[in-house]
Amino acid sequence: MMMFEFRRQHPIAALTRSVNLIRGNIVTILVFLFIGAQSESFPFLIMIGAGFALLLISGVLDWWRFVFRVEEGEMHIKSGILVRKNLYLTKDRIQVIDISSGVIQRFFGLVKVDIQTAGSTSRAAMIEAVPLETAKEIKRLLSNNGASPEAGDAIQSDEKPGKVYGLPNKDLLIAASTSGRFGIALSILGTLFSQVEPVIRESNLFEYVINLLPTETDAVMIGAIIVVFVVIAWMISFFSTLLMYGDFSLELNEDELVISRGIFEKKRITVPYKRIQALFVTEGILRQPLGYCSVHIHSAGYGDEQGSGAIVLYPLIRRDKVNSLIKEVTPQYHVELPGLKPPTRAIRRYIFRSAFVLLLITAVLYYTLSLSNWFWLVPALSVWWGWQKYKDAAIGWTKTHVVISNRTLSKKTAIIQRGRIQDLSVSASWIQRFRQLQSAEVYVASGDHGSSFTIEDIEEQDGERFLNELSHQAVLEGEDAEKDQAVLTPLPGW
Amino acid sequence: MEKSSSKKISPKVIGVWRYGSAIGFAFLLALPVIYYSIFGFRQVHLWILLTVSALCLAVWLLNVVILPPLQWKRWRYSINQYEIGLLRGVLVQTETLIPLSRVQHVDTRQGPVLRWYGLASVTISTAATTHEIPGLDAELADRLRRRISTYARLADDDV
Repeated sequence: MMMFEFRRQHPIAALTRSVNLIRGNIVTILVFLFIGAQSESFPFLIMIGAGFALLLISGVLDWWRFVFRVEEGEMHIKSGILVRKNLYLTKDRIQVIDISSGVIQRFFGLVKVDIQTAGSTSRAAMIEAVPLETAKEIKRLLSNNGASPEAGDAIQSDEKPGKVYGLPNKDLLIAASTSGRFGIALSILGTLFSQVEPVIRESNLFEYVINLLPTETDAVMIGAIIVVFVVIAWMISFFSTLLMYGDFSLELNEDELVISRGIFEKKRITVPYKRIQALFVTEGILRQPLGYCSVHIHSAGYGDEQGSGAIVLYPLIRRDKVNSLIKEVTPQYHVELPGLKPPTRAIRRYIFRSAFVLLLITAVLYYTLSLSNWFWLVPALSVWWGWQKYKDAAIGWTKTHVVISNRTLSKKTAIIQRGRIQDLSVSASWIQRFRQLQSAEVYVASGDHGSSFTIEDIEEQDGERFLNELSHQAVLEGEDAEKDQAVLTPLPGW
Repeated sequence: MEKSSSKKISPKVIGVWRYGSAIGFAFLLALPVIYYSIFGFRQVHLWILLTVSALCLAVWLLNVVILPPLQWKRWRYSINQYEIGLLRGVLVQTETLIPLSRVQHVDTRQGPVLRWYGLASVTISTAATTHEIPGLDAELADRLRRRISTYARLADDDV
């Protein structure tokens, strides 16, 4: 197959491009549809038709203008309808070539090639639809081991499957039902409701339903609405997680791990081991009582749509099995070390921080709106929450690793290799100085930018020691101060 | 971090910060004027207006007159072969350690006000964060930039 001349993608790429455009602007399109549907005038239909025609035409033009070739170990892509873009990706800079397929691609027996480069100015190229053979050819020409075009057996050499982990169906169901992706679900419901609501109101449906209902108190009505919303939100989060993490597999290869997931939309993420910056374990509020958690990693360089490099390494696992998973998959993150807890005098700061604002708001609302006494449960819960945050906060370090556990909503335990730390800080506000407390923060690279792990209100001396012992000098000299008199706790603690 | 080798930044930066804050917090002085134009100053409004004016002026003066010298006094930086150490902050005091092997690039920057004072700032970027040492003499800033990038290259070879 000739890869040295410019080639087009399979024509189906025009369709996937249009579909991607629609999906990217789905909210705008829905809003237009809802507003337009109320007017019912003829020009509106023409506008919709014209819109879709425009989308299709732009998809076709895009396909027509998108050409690529591989020449002397360099991927050259020309694209853009009005502004011509030339993208060169050299072999040495390419870190990952992912071959995967979406619904449309699979229907036509095609694949999608995703090429990612390294570094902070990482660039990525996506070839939407090509036959599998072309994709393999691209991969062979651009991967470092298949240097010469004659090396025919290079295709097989990197297809050697390593150890593969799957997600049992039972665990998938537990993961889906405890995912707690309510935020996303509620926002979807909210936008939908705000769009549908005027339609319902105009069609008198609302009054009809209200007349039908017995004249109960408003509280019951509101309660019922909340329950219905929560149930629907839960179902959305259940099924979206099911689709996202269905067919999950984690594959260990020689120098990279490959995570693939998704039922309709297959997602394949290749992470070279050397790009892993940190590992963290999240115990969600619904999962913690059941003894489950999820394992993520931070990967440097190429981020997702939001530029974040957090990747799900394993979506659901029993707490007591985390250690063995880490040992097998990422042994460099398998550590056990003594952790320091914030001193007991920090408790009131933890509680104050999480409860103060809510307490103030509740008090103001209580006296101005004369709310029911039940509303005091909100600040009471936040006090309890502050106590939980204090209980879960701990930090520990050795010459090679830093472990920080804390809680915002979920409990998060992060394991960081010292050599991967981008910078570390301790800070103290004037109240903290008065109480002789400090906060510590560690930054690691993640995606296009960084990500940080923080612990609040540790003992002042501990903070100073943290900074000093992790400085290069201290590690060279190999001094390891004994951690006496401090409150100790085992970390990571599973 | 070796505290002994830590250096201060140029005291001229106090002036730069004063100008910056004076302009940046100018909106505070506009607040009472806006209040006056909406409510006038009869009865209660007079007292509210007086309190608001006093508060706004106090915060403005705090940021323009009192904080800059304190900030300058707190600012320390230190550089050795392995790390850059930064110590700064008046209300919240922060101490940061940046391993030189993690430094991706170092820039010097000079805005119009800084140029007027003959100063420049050094910006240190890692893959995750960006830090700035403000208000160094332009020449020193340039030397520092070169030193950091040399060290960073050396440290890179180690890893």
